[in-house]
Amino acid sequence: MNQLLLISAIPLLITLLGFFPRMARKLPKLAAVLMALQIPVVLTLIPAALNGSVPMWRGFAIDGTAAAFLVITTLVAAAAMAQAAFLMPAERAAEHPSSDGHLCMFYSMTGLFLLAMYTVLVSVNLGYMWIAMEATTLLSAPLIYYHRGPRSLEATWKYLILCSVGIAFALFGTVLIFAAQHGVHDGGSLLISKIIEHPGDIDPRLMRMGFIFCLLGYGTKAGIFPLHNWLPDAHSEAPSPTSAMLSGSLLNCALVAIWRISQVVTATGQGHLVQQLLVPAGAITVLAASIMLIRQHDLKRMWAYSSVEHIGLLTLAIGINSGGVFMLHAFNHSLAKTALFLLSGAILHQYGTKSLSKLAGLLKASPAWGAALCIAGFAIAGSPPFGTFISEWLLLRDTFTKGEVFAGVVVIIGLAITFIAIMGHINKIVFGVKPTLAHKDINPAWAYAPLGLMAISLVAGFAVSPPVMNALTMLISGGLPQ
Amino acid sequence: MNFSTIDLLSAGAALLAVMMCGFSGLYSQLRSLAVQTAFLAGIAISIGMSSGATHYLVLAGVVLLIKSIGIPMFLAWSAKRLEIPRDAGVMLPPALSALFGVGLLVAGYFLSSQFAVPKMGNIGEAGMTMTLIFIGMMLMITRRLAISQVIGFLVLENGIFLYGLTQTHGMPMLVEMAAVFEVLMGVMIAGLVTYRISRTFEHVDVTHLRGLRH
Repeated sequence: MNQLLLISAIPLLITLLGFFPRMARKLPKLAAVLMALQIPVVLTLIPAALNGSVPMWRGFAIDGTAAAFLVITTLVAAAAMAQAAFLMPAERAAEHPSSDGHLCMFYSMTGLFLLAMYTVLVSVNLGYMWIAMEATTLLSAPLIYYHRGPRSLEATWKYLILCSVGIAFALFGTVLIFAAQHGVHDGGSLLISKIIEHPGDIDPRLMRMGFIFCLLGYGTKAGIFPLHNWLPDAHSEAPSPTSAMLSGSLLNCALVAIWRISQVVTATGQGHLVQQLLVPAGAITVLAASIMLIRQHDLKRMWAYSSVEHIGLLTLAIGINSGGVFMLHAFNHSLAKTALFLLSGAILHQYGTKSLSKLAGLLKASPAWGAALCIAGFAIAGSPPFGTFISEWLLLRDTFTKGEVFAGVVVIIGLAITFIAIMGHINKIVFGVKPTLAHKDINPAWAYAPLGLMAISLVAGFAVSPPVMNALTMLISGGLPQ
Repeated sequence: MNFSTIDLLSAGAALLAVMMCGFSGLYSQLRSLAVQTAFLAGIAISIGMSSGATHYLVLAGVVLLIKSIGIPMFLAWSAKRLEIPRDAGVMLPPALSALFGVGLLVAGYFLSSQFAVPKMGNIGEAGMTMTLIFIGMMLMITRRLAISQVIGFLVLENGIFLYGLTQTHGMPMLVEMAAVFEVLMGVMIAGLVTYRISRTFEHVDVTHLRGLRH
């Protein structure tokens, strides 16, 4: 329980500070510093998780899966807050004048949103996990509406209604999984360790139905094709630090929910269903997203579709039950995508547009920004030597060894199209004539947080070796505390 | 033919859902929703009385207060504030929509054995659950107003609640309560967003929200 309090202290503090509008001038910098301090706090959880000692309190536990994704979520949030310290005051001064209270609301909501995501990750009770997941939707909706324009309003409405319906299906799935335990003598439970205790007594029919509804529900939240409709709107209309958190950490939370439920379903003898459903879903998502990436007119929408593509890869990793690869790729994708959304926020502010046809000459305007965008673009497209290349490679290897040749071929086609599409778009943004900027002062410091993330991604790319993969697999296979 | 109280109340809830398909007036829809939710609270009370578990009574009280009285009143207040007494732009004529509702009732009947937990003895209720979920989805798809979509969502949510009540020995209390409160929060936020939509776009027809295509 101590660990749970430890990790929630700083987000809670940010939330509380947001209640004081007088803090508005100091809060952006303060929140950035506080979130940077949160990184070492969360890192202390890793050794314990590797040793297999899982601190538990009621339906919450920091097992390997939770610890790893807590680190990813915190890294993303810290980078987002670091960028927000530059972006939010600059936006307020220029294109989005807003009151102190409004800015403080942003920080309060971000703190609560982060707490809700932490809760999803540490829940080992399917009911609590559902509650926390629903809370993430409700808490992030005001963040998406932060700019208060008609476009952000439309995006918020779509997000709210589609994700609420999705999450309602997940509730139905959760109830079905509970009902499937009607043969268990004590009436069943939602605690994962309790559900898998008596695999023989579980009604397989209701368990399968439960999995399908949970997949439908959390899949909507994760943006699996064709349930991804809300995703590009919400991710492109939200302020960039929020986009980064939605893409870099919230999608992971939904996937962790799917991962945990897949583990339950596999442990109760229905593993073939997980593979049958998730492998085609993942492969189709990758291909569909790659095709949609070709014709893009909007910088942030492009990264949103790229997120859909990576969600496809991660779904595939869950489908073939490669926990280590799932974790590694989620880590690499989150870093690169966060860097890209943060850079896009900076570009949007500086150019005054995110229309791809109007963006050009970034390298001439600011070498640091241009270089950062190139590096992060290469990373997200999965080229060596970045971590994404290694994790995609390992994923394809595992896909073929599991005998899913067709899915593997579809994914390779999708990845090839994605690479060409993203490189084409980045080429237009980075090179070309020097642009006329909306704001003259272009500060290279804005690229530091993204470049920092890319440095970590680079190290991660070189660090992957069989022992590391074994450690990751160990970490995630501790996902079901006994 | 012997029908238990639970059978009658859940059949009433499903029939009200079919009726709601035929209404285009928001107030009559909200009244039906309130009565339907009260029926579900009645089921919780009757289960609580027969099993002697007090938490069912607490749950029934919370559902009655929040989902049956609070939320419909809040939505009626929103509709009044926005001056939209009826859903003028129903994509499916109400009569036809009610016919589809009956079809979904029949579909629910055929699906009941798929979803029922035989030991609980409430096989029909599993079908009613599916009916409520289907009708909720149909209402969300075929209505244009933001508030009508929220009503559809609440019907869907009621279906899930009915399933938890009749097919399990009681979901953990905390989860049930949290579900009720999160529905309340969701409806409040949706109400605020609806108000913003009407102020920003000067209409609440969500099918006209199509600025974000590319």
